[in-house]
Amino acid sequence: MKKLAGALLLFFLLLPIAAQAEEEVYRILDGQGNEITQYHGEPEAGDEYIAHDNQHYVIARVDAASHTAMAEGKGAYRLPDVTWLEDDSQAVSSGQRSVALYCTHSDESYEPTDGDSSLTPRGGIYDVAESLKKGLEDQGITVYYDDSTHLPHDSAAYRRSRATAEELLKNGVDAIFDVHRDGIPDPGQYETTIDGQEASMVRLLVGRSNQNAAANKEFAAGIKAVADKLYPDLVRDIYIGKGTYNQDLSPHAVLLEFGTHTIEKERAEQATRFMASVINKTLYGGISGAAGKTAETASGKGVWTGIIWIVGLVIVGVAVFALASTGGVQPAMRKIRDNASEMTGGFFDKKNKK
Amino acid sequence: MTLGSFLLSALAVLVLLGVGQRVLDRMHLRDRTALVLIAAMFVGGLIPDIDLGLVRVNIGGALIPLGVCLYLLFTADETAERVRGVAGAVITSLAVYLLGRVMPADPEKIVVDPLYICGITGGIVGWLLGRSRRGAFICGVLGVLLADVISAVTVWAGGVSQKLVLGGAGLFDSVVISGFLAVLLCELVGETLERLARARGVAPNPQRVKMPERKNRK
Repeated sequence: MKKLAGALLLFFLLLPIAAQAEEEVYRILDGQGNEITQYHGEPEAGDEYIAHDNQHYVIARVDAASHTAMAEGKGAYRLPDVTWLEDDSQAVSSGQRSVALYCTHSDESYEPTDGDSSLTPRGGIYDVAESLKKGLEDQGITVYYDDSTHLPHDSAAYRRSRATAEELLKNGVDAIFDVHRDGIPDPGQYETTIDGQEASMVRLLVGRSNQNAAANKEFAAGIKAVADKLYPDLVRDIYIGKGTYNQDLSPHAVLLEFGTHTIEKERAEQATRFMASVINKTLYGGISGAAGKTAETASGKGVWTGIIWIVGLVIVGVAVFALASTGGVQPAMRKIRDNASEMTGGFFDKKNKK
Repeated sequence: MTLGSFLLSALAVLVLLGVGQRVLDRMHLRDRTALVLIAAMFVGGLIPDIDLGLVRVNIGGALIPLGVCLYLLFTADETAERVRGVAGAVITSLAVYLLGRVMPADPEKIVVDPLYICGITGGIVGWLLGRSRRGAFICGVLGVLLADVISAVTVWAGGVSQKLVLGGAGLFDSVVISGFLAVLLCELVGETLERLARARGVAPNPQRVKMPERKNRK
């Protein structure tokens, strides 16, 4: 047994080397074999994708050999109704308007203008975040922007930026955004022209491994709905991936990817001005004040899904643990009862009351 | 914030508090001590961090979990248990640090969320070293704290004076979640394997074994 434990420990320490992933771009294909999009990294079966034209796909299988992923079409995704954008007669929204910004990957930069795709300690991404902050402030929104660095650029950066996100949320903000850029080599995937200005498109990324996944997905859908109306080429797509990206901390959290590393930074900065207007209207209805109509109604559905998700997870978790430790239904029920009593320090225990 | 959003956030906090209380209960603490500690982690996470220049320490997210680990180490029955706890924490920290470095960093590439990988690592190392829930908690908590220190030292060595924030997200920090997850994983894996072993007749049935009573509990 000791040998087995030793071997497993050794394996576990060597696991990181085996886990090292290649830098790769996958092509996501629909049922007919047509390319829907390119994706930097290996998609996972179950990931969801809402394309630029709002077609909804779920990744069915991934072929690592050919770097392709087959996506199953689910039809058009129903974005929230934003017809109120056309009605400029609504009351002006009052009260505090505030959002939070931070950058998890501090080194992210734009090669053509910054000189490299990765610069330490601060990459060009901070200029993009600063530009988004200014754009939001121009819209009358208070912006809590934390420009802390979270180096190095590794997966643990999300653990480090978690403290930043949690600190920002203490300000009672209406939404929180993690500002990034993509890593797809082809600049054509993101380059666009909006209102005659050279700009980058923006990908919205939502994590599906947390209780806020549905709410954040609907919030992202709200942003895309408003953007599609105001600046149809601004939001490239929405990807719902396997990570959490600290979005478990808020039901109004989205990761924004302004372009990719092979475009000029100015394009990304230009996109922030359009995005600031979109965020303002999504959350508050803009100066005409539909007062958070889109964000509220959109994430409202997702919020209740999240509540059901948590309750379901607790029921399943408690049942699995109780059964694993007792081996039978009756003893498991007894254990659950005992635990419930213990959790309240015995306050609700009948024996204690006597 | 809408009512639904408030309920969702409140429910998430309550579940984490409940899980935390159960986990601390497994550390041979009194029920009410576990309740007080988990409440202290929650409240401690809300009050300002202790600023030590380049290092910032959150009370609920780092100081209290660290205190629980030290208590567990000092009150361990045997020296071997203490050695296993410290060794496990070092192994976990190295594994967590290396995993953090080599696992995909970009959001599109994440396979297992870094938030959960620490707890999974701590749980496996804790179980392998001593099949101990207390060991798993120590591995989960100290492993993440040490991994963060290693990471900060490498950044400082590169000439960047980046702040090291320990447990900055309070009760929601990876330090706390990792400790909880490690214990839950250790318990689930341990109980399941022991049950399978008993079914095969290669392990004693605990119901037929007289266990010493735990005197420190009510």
